[in-house]
Amino acid sequence: MDADRYIPGVDDFKNMYLTIKFEMLKHIKRKRILLTLILAILIPLIFFIVPPLLGQGYADTANGFAASNLGFVNLLIILSGAIFTGDSISGEFENKTGLLLFSTPQRKSSIFTGKYIASLIATWLIVSLYYLITIMEMASIYGASGISVEIAQSFLLALLYSTSVVSIVFLFSSIMKKTITSTLIGFFLLMMILPIITAVFTLAEVDPWFIVTHNADLITNVIGTGNGGGFGPGQGFNLTVFKPDLWSGISVMSAYTVILFLTGMVMADRRKME
Amino acid sequence: MISKTAECPKCKTHITVQGNPGETTIVLCPNCNIKGNFTFQKEKAEIETISNHNIIEVKNLTKMFNGFKALDNVSFNVKKGEILGFVGPNGAGKTTTIKLLTNLLTPTSGHAYINNIDVNKNPTKALLSVGSLIEVPGIYDYLTPHEMLTYFGKIHRLNKNEINQKIKEVLKIVKLSEWEHKKIGSFSTGMQRRLAIAKAILHSPDILILDEPVIGLDPRGIKDVRDMLKQFKNKGVTIFLSSHLLNEVRETCDRIIFLDAGKVVTQGTIKEILNRIKIDTIEVEFLNQLTEVDIKKIENIPEINSFEKENGFFKIKFDGKPETSNTILTKLTEQGLKVVSFSTKKADLESFYVSIMNDEKGVI
Repeated sequence: MDADRYIPGVDDFKNMYLTIKFEMLKHIKRKRILLTLILAILIPLIFFIVPPLLGQGYADTANGFAASNLGFVNLLIILSGAIFTGDSISGEFENKTGLLLFSTPQRKSSIFTGKYIASLIATWLIVSLYYLITIMEMASIYGASGISVEIAQSFLLALLYSTSVVSIVFLFSSIMKKTITSTLIGFFLLMMILPIITAVFTLAEVDPWFIVTHNADLITNVIGTGNGGGFGPGQGFNLTVFKPDLWSGISVMSAYTVILFLTGMVMADRRKME
Repeated sequence: MISKTAECPKCKTHITVQGNPGETTIVLCPNCNIKGNFTFQKEKAEIETISNHNIIEVKNLTKMFNGFKALDNVSFNVKKGEILGFVGPNGAGKTTTIKLLTNLLTPTSGHAYINNIDVNKNPTKALLSVGSLIEVPGIYDYLTPHEMLTYFGKIHRLNKNEINQKIKEVLKIVKLSEWEHKKIGSFSTGMQRRLAIAKAILHSPDILILDEPVIGLDPRGIKDVRDMLKQFKNKGVTIFLSSHLLNEVRETCDRIIFLDAGKVVTQGTIKEILNRIKIDTIEVEFLNQLTEVDIKKIENIPEINSFEKENGFFKIKFDGKPETSNTILTKLTEQGLKVVSFSTKKADLESFYVSIMNDEKGVI
């Protein structure tokens, strides 16, 4: 391509699209998608198969069944987000593949945005499959009428939460030198550290509305049977339970998504192949 | 009358033109009928409209790393169709320069231009016609060469058919045709290196920026790369080649820049550099073993500065003048010594390199 045929914007968009396709190919080739797909199929299947095998029935309502089933979607979102995003930026620097990639005639922002979107698509794909299987199970147990609009709300919230999770891990990936560090820090921050901080705030009777993992409870809360908190108190304690507000939760997750993605982009753009 | 090759600015066809130095003639491209003026200059004849300009231009480039000056006010240029060798010890700043030229680093001050486009300000346009190989890049080891090269072909806007055709071509050049659909993870270091070269040449770039391209290659691979560079030169590709291997540089490059401690030490054509080397050693081999008396006789020849045995040969140091060399040979035979071979040591880049570089640096 000649320099005078390069059209800023149009060609940047094409490059971003090519990066998305390339990243998806990499996810497939590295069997990451396969691994998470297996989990996305296996977990809801356990909820479907195990109760009858143990001689126990399903929940009384379809939403009750969905709530217990979707209790694990949070884990799957964090796992997928960490796996697909953890090495998106740091891997290019750590493995020195950036020497091949960043010396090509494309803006780094096109590459990084493409990588982010690819991680997002992969994570959304896994979450969507999880919901699809759950909905199919609900339909087979409770009939099509058992599938409520709340499931759709829950699904949309799960997608929004996935986006904020990808943004968080993306930021770590753009800062950290090692892929393993960005992946593990992202995973443990979302799985343990933020829930512990939420619990501490709750014990101190401060509403942890600003913590993204706290707002993830909305995914099951919208169905109407969520527990509203991650860590419970011991016996003899009176604990105020803070349930996240829907619109506040959406705002917080959106804010995490945008702010951390943009920060990640700036940090990644400033990194050099030294 | 001299004969020169010019390149059509439109279709890149190479046209042979004949004329006398100083003469200007009109050249018509047989392919696209474009006309151009061609001036035969004293040293070099080039089409005014296209050839006589710098493809790569580096102006006062400085790069600091946490207070350490890796590159200090470096300036040079590479002309169209030229192969420029960039030579220097480890840590001299060669790779830093190349990273600045390919937008992997941002200069602290100064500018790097490719085709008159500032690489740092407009990398997407500047790098469009560049193929590069920098350091020892990582390779996506879970992909096949076909998958990896397809992506890079698309970045350069090659269509599907072009990509498939070019992949076959470049893999043939780097002798990896049979590995097109095998996982890169199973490749040896040399094969990965060759694949990185394939990536660099995939889009038939006008400019090649190569950082130690033969590292990790076996002698056959080194020869293949050398031949490949010559082929590219014949096609008019401009090549910027960083290397430790002075013989490689001598074999392939038109001009050399010697870099040390972030500064250009000297530069010139191979011929100019070799002319600067003082040849003051003669290697002599005698038919019979020399006796003490013979050695005394040789040492007493006034034109000889020193005489010593090294690796089976005798080395004579003299003032470097051809007449003196001839006198020494005459006097040796007059002394009755039977000389089997007598040759002045050839000028080599290694001696020059060692003479101009800081002794403490790693070499070659």
